[in-house]
Amino acid sequence: MANVTLNVNGEARTASVPPETTLLKLLRDNFNLTGAKLGCDVGDCGACTVIVDGKPVNACLMLAGQADGRDVLTIEGLATLDGLHPIQKAFEDNASLQCGFCGPGIILSAKALLDENPAPTAQQIRDALAGNLCRCTGYTKIIEAVQDAARALRGEPADKAA
Amino acid sequence: MATKTKVAAKRAPLETLREADETLRLPAITPPVTYPLETLVPEVRHQTPAVGQRATRPDGRLHGLGQTRYIDDLAFPGMLYAKIKRAGVASARIRSIDTREAEAMPGVMAVLTGREIPVNSFGPSLKDQPVLADDRVFHAGDGVAAVAAVTEQIALEALDRIKVEYEPLPAVFDPLEAMKDDAPKVHAPNGNIYATKVIRKGDIDKGFAASDHIFEGRFRTQMVEHAPLEPHATIAMWDPNGRVTIHSTLGRITLGRADVARTLKLPINRIRIVATIVGGNFGGKNEITQEPVLALLSKKTGRPVKGTFTRTEEFIATTTRHPIIMDYKTGVSKDGRILARKVRLVLDGGAYCSWSETTLGKACILSAGPYKIDNLHTEAYVVYTNKTMTGAMRGFGAPQVCFAYESHMDDIAAALNLDPLDIRLLNAFEEGSPSPTGQVLHSVVVKDSLLQAAQRFGWKEPRS
Amino acid sequence: MRAFELVTATDCRHAVALLAEYGPFAKVLAGGTDLLVELKSSPHVPEVIIDISRAEDLKIIAVTDEGLSIGALVTHTEIMRSALIREMFPALVDAAHTIGAVQTRNLGTLGGNLMSGVPSMDSGPALIALDALVTVAGPAGRRQMPLAEFFVGPRKTILKPDELLAEIVIPKQNFGKPAHFVKFGLRKGQALALVNVAASLWVGRDKQVFAAPRIALGAVAPTVIRAPKAEAYLEGRAITPEAMAEAGRIAVGEAKPISDFRASAEYRQDLIAVLIKRALEGACAQAKAKRDRET
Repeated sequence: MANVTLNVNGEARTASVPPETTLLKLLRDNFNLTGAKLGCDVGDCGACTVIVDGKPVNACLMLAGQADGRDVLTIEGLATLDGLHPIQKAFEDNASLQCGFCGPGIILSAKALLDENPAPTAQQIRDALAGNLCRCTGYTKIIEAVQDAARALRGEPADKAA
Repeated sequence: MATKTKVAAKRAPLETLREADETLRLPAITPPVTYPLETLVPEVRHQTPAVGQRATRPDGRLHGLGQTRYIDDLAFPGMLYAKIKRAGVASARIRSIDTREAEAMPGVMAVLTGREIPVNSFGPSLKDQPVLADDRVFHAGDGVAAVAAVTEQIALEALDRIKVEYEPLPAVFDPLEAMKDDAPKVHAPNGNIYATKVIRKGDIDKGFAASDHIFEGRFRTQMVEHAPLEPHATIAMWDPNGRVTIHSTLGRITLGRADVARTLKLPINRIRIVATIVGGNFGGKNEITQEPVLALLSKKTGRPVKGTFTRTEEFIATTTRHPIIMDYKTGVSKDGRILARKVRLVLDGGAYCSWSETTLGKACILSAGPYKIDNLHTEAYVVYTNKTMTGAMRGFGAPQVCFAYESHMDDIAAALNLDPLDIRLLNAFEEGSPSPTGQVLHSVVVKDSLLQAAQRFGWKEPRS
Repeated sequence: MRAFELVTATDCRHAVALLAEYGPFAKVLAGGTDLLVELKSSPHVPEVIIDISRAEDLKIIAVTDEGLSIGALVTHTEIMRSALIREMFPALVDAAHTIGAVQTRNLGTLGGNLMSGVPSMDSGPALIALDALVTVAGPAGRRQMPLAEFFVGPRKTILKPDELLAEIVIPKQNFGKPAHFVKFGLRKGQALALVNVAASLWVGRDKQVFAAPRIALGAVAPTVIRAPKAEAYLEGRAITPEAMAEAGRIAVGEAKPISDFRASAEYRQDLIAVLIKRALEGACAQAKAKRDRET
């Protein structure tokens, strides 16, 4: 068994799991944080995206043991008691999520992008979200939501004309 | 500014509770998460001004918060994990299945084979699909045995230890080959053509005779998997009182309930199917897959059993879009007016019928395109092959024939040196045009749409 | 995934010691973007997985006496963000950018990409075009070889079971050598290369001629290859569009592309000619930009 201690959404969590356990399985089965989804289990779909030490990664391609001692942010850690994170708000306002299964991963990828680049171009957004597949929407509203969120995070008024 | 408090509340007192849970092998209990957020619950008969309003989805907020619970996000105390062994051969007789070694493994709670299923056949129209193959394997994705174990790893290893002996049988993979008299019969003694549809209108011989030009073309499409982000997942719980509750990603639970009742040989009122948000359906979650298997494993073990398909299983063991071989023959006048059209469609049905009859009908009706054609003959066949079954997928056959008739139209326009837009405007449906099956069409805006689109993307402007 | 034991190496030396201990029963885990996918689909899992992802001494990008040393565990994202590499070898940055998606680039390592040995890898051609060397650590110490000799077949490298790929070195004489990488995939994001090409060249000191041109190709042979005949053709020749196109045509004869579900061999042959021309044009444009900056 592998003993892992990691910081999840600002809180220290420990677990003892078999060595072959992925970070995704650890989060879902041991910590009951089911926001990260199992979509393809081979790192293609991005539904399991979480942010580890500031970088988005596929939780299905990281062993729990490799996450030992690291900082993990899941979708459950994004909203605060004050309200939704601006990205979540923008996704809701733009009706960007249909079935919603890809949503947590996409929102976290978008967060990682906006943390580094507060004013991304549409192409930069597409590049940052290339690892997150959505089968429902065709991505247009997702890109618009990220642009809206970027504006909100920069403190600019929303572009209502669009 | 006040420091933001993380949503996850203090958990210290719950640690002990969690540890107690773990020793009982129960899933961890999450502390209650309270969001200061109203979730939108649509009220019955609540009228909102819809026109001109920007609509958001009532469930969008929970999706974005990661709080929507899909089936695979649920867990029940004592839950077991199921895995299904796939045949890996396209056509064979099963000589024997030896499950003893798997059953002896620590952690394996039950093994199930096709012979234990009360009524081993189901399907939305033809009941030609076994829940688990018992005597005969029809395609490589057929399940042959299932295991319920305390962890997924143990279930996987148990699958390796199930020994299945196959007697290979001839297989057929090409639908045109499958139509021949001497082709191996997928579901012997029945022939491979399992549904046919013909539409006749006017007199095509006269139409072709009156035509100045006759064009022929063959178009084929490929098999397509829906690939919803959420794989098929099910949790089955067999109550001691003989009722079964199934949490499933099914999009059509009422239909699924009937199939489960049939296969388990239970009155329908003993079956409860609970659905939640589906993580993408697109037609691929319209029928049951592993539900009866998990129900029976739950009956055998007395515990909830969960099964989640791998992405590989999504491709090999769930329905796909029909590949269609489409032969078009069209007679046109000098100026490009369609005088007669003959269409022959051969749908590759894969190993089981599923929603093939619906797809066949829709493909057949739409195959002439949105064009006024007085003399028409369409015949469509769907045939069995030893491949993954094809079924419902967005459009039910419409995208395939659209690809064919519009490609054919472009070919004709090119050969006659006509503008592809003009030949469509010349032939397109108008208000009151009859469809191939005689339905009088209203609110027909084909020409308006074409013209508006052409104007917007500058079709008539010179292209470089 | 089937069960295995996980041991964690603290540094390169420790990893080599663990390899000596477990050797044939072990596999090395770096970023995991290839290995975990393989383990999940395979009923045969090695008994031991040696996790080297915490070996900090394999994560260094530094200029040494030999040249630019890139540790085997440097991720694709780190390559894209390294000021040193962006300045000296933009082609490496371009190649890293085309690998997978953000999530895979954050985990996946340069060493892991090379170790996969797949002919369509994106980091191979760019490095080979820059005459990169690899340093291999084993029980008997370190040995070095040109990267071009590191690959011996599809998914096969020259590495012995008790050896570890430690670093990649771009020799000093190639510092600032104009190079360009182009990839053609079926999509812009998350696609494997149908063909990828990297070219590097110096421009003659007095005349506008090719000097020390290098052309490396991926996905067109059992391993990443160079195109020596095309290189020889260009050497000393005047820089013209015709010469670049001709080099592309020559290289078609040096490759042995296969037909698979992504593309036919014929299509790949056409791509080789076109992409080599583009890669050479890109490298020449860079050389020109550099000269303009300097004068």
